[in-house]
Amino acid sequence: MAITADQILDIIAEEVPIDRADLKPEATLEALNIASLDMISVMFALEDKFGVIIEQTDVAEVKTLAEFISVVQAKAETKAAAG
Amino acid sequence: MAHRRVVITGMGAVSALGQGLDAHWDALAAGRTGISQIQRDIGDGSIHKYGGPAGVAPVLDTSQLEARLGPRPIAHLDPFSAFSVVAGQEALTQSGLIGHPTLEHRTVMVWGCGSGGNQTIEDGYSRAFLKGATNVHPLSIPKQMISAPVSHLSMLFGVQGPAFTVASACASSGHAIGEGLWMIRSGRADAAVVGGSEAALTYGSWMGWIALKAMADDTCRPFSIDRRGMVLGEGAAALVLEDYEHAKARGAHIIAELAGYGATSDAHHITMPHGRGAEAAIRAAHEDAGLSLDTPVLISSHGTGTALNDKIESGAIRSVYGADVAQNRVIATKSAHGHLIGGAGAIELVTGIQAMVNNLAPPILNSLGPDPECDVPLVMEPEAHNFQAVVSNSFAFGGLNAVLIAKRV
Repeated sequence: MAITADQILDIIAEEVPIDRADLKPEATLEALNIASLDMISVMFALEDKFGVIIEQTDVAEVKTLAEFISVVQAKAETKAAAG
Repeated sequence: MAHRRVVITGMGAVSALGQGLDAHWDALAAGRTGISQIQRDIGDGSIHKYGGPAGVAPVLDTSQLEARLGPRPIAHLDPFSAFSVVAGQEALTQSGLIGHPTLEHRTVMVWGCGSGGNQTIEDGYSRAFLKGATNVHPLSIPKQMISAPVSHLSMLFGVQGPAFTVASACASSGHAIGEGLWMIRSGRADAAVVGGSEAALTYGSWMGWIALKAMADDTCRPFSIDRRGMVLGEGAAALVLEDYEHAKARGAHIIAELAGYGATSDAHHITMPHGRGAEAAIRAAHEDAGLSLDTPVLISSHGTGTALNDKIESGAIRSVYGADVAQNRVIATKSAHGHLIGGAGAIELVTGIQAMVNNLAPPILNSLGPDPECDVPLVMEPEAHNFQAVVSNSFAFGGLNAVLIAKRV
């Protein structure tokens, strides 16, 4: 299942929670004051909602929202291809 | 030994009767009930249905907390923590201590909870056992731990002194308030945020209470003939306790004095109460408060509506006050908001204090008539009074008893 950037940002806004308008793709997690535990909640919600399993190691190097979105979308495509 | 006097400068409540002490009290004074029939299910709803009478708290308005702190600190709370921070915010706001230097280092927090974050625990179980998932929410442990409410209270209000949770089933918050009182008396703190909470209207918890055959299938009828058991409620109540001189020096509004605390254990049985423990706790509280047993008092009873509790409590009251019992009055507000378990002692003390300062005893609801085994002076209609003190009883499973006495100032 394809996941759009907006769907991912919606989940971040809901889970952290944080104002959706602040979630610009180029923003860094650090600048948004989003902690790693917040992102674990986000990844749990993504798994629950879209069935895409993201490991912490997958996002270890992620700094910006855009990078996070890329990781999630790549994982979702791999999952779809695998079937 | 003379102790420091301790007064109450703030109170807050969440119950099935409403959010905020005013909503809670207005409903009680008007004789309204918060108990309704609930029907719930988990999973796909085909097997795991449950229902019956319960006191369900309203959806919380957290806008005041959010206005001060933003949405993030209160986003992932189990209901038993959410009730706590809302009641705590109300009590601390009333006390005027938010932002006061005393709150930072000379304040303690003692909170009473019976069972922890039931909803979080059961969400994890249902995910694992019903859906076959191999993982649970990453915040499962920090949300469900029984100390979560007091940790959140400490974080939200910047309290850096000792903070911990006390567990003694249905007397948890009675003990929490009493121990907070002693921490001020002994000089370990100048203020204490005390109270308790419970959120146990979940499937597993409900099944447990049903299995115990403690739950009424109709409603809560304390001290009534043909009473059939307790009704679970949920919510929280909080009080700000303060050294009298400290409160006076800063010009705080003093609601009442917390004058006495008596705590005992039955040493008898894990569910059946024994009158000797209850009686000793009431006597100890009077002695601690310096309040003679022939002084007329309003009694905010434990009054669960179970056959045995109400009989034993009536016997203890009669035994302690003797012939003078007739000048006292007994209220039993679980008939309106249900049993808050860990929060029961706090909500019933707060309610008793409201009844004292408003000169009005709220009625016991749902009575089907007098029970000769519960021959105590019950308040059956709203009743004007001028009692100078209120005695609040908590008698828990396992024979753990805490009685508190508040006086007018």
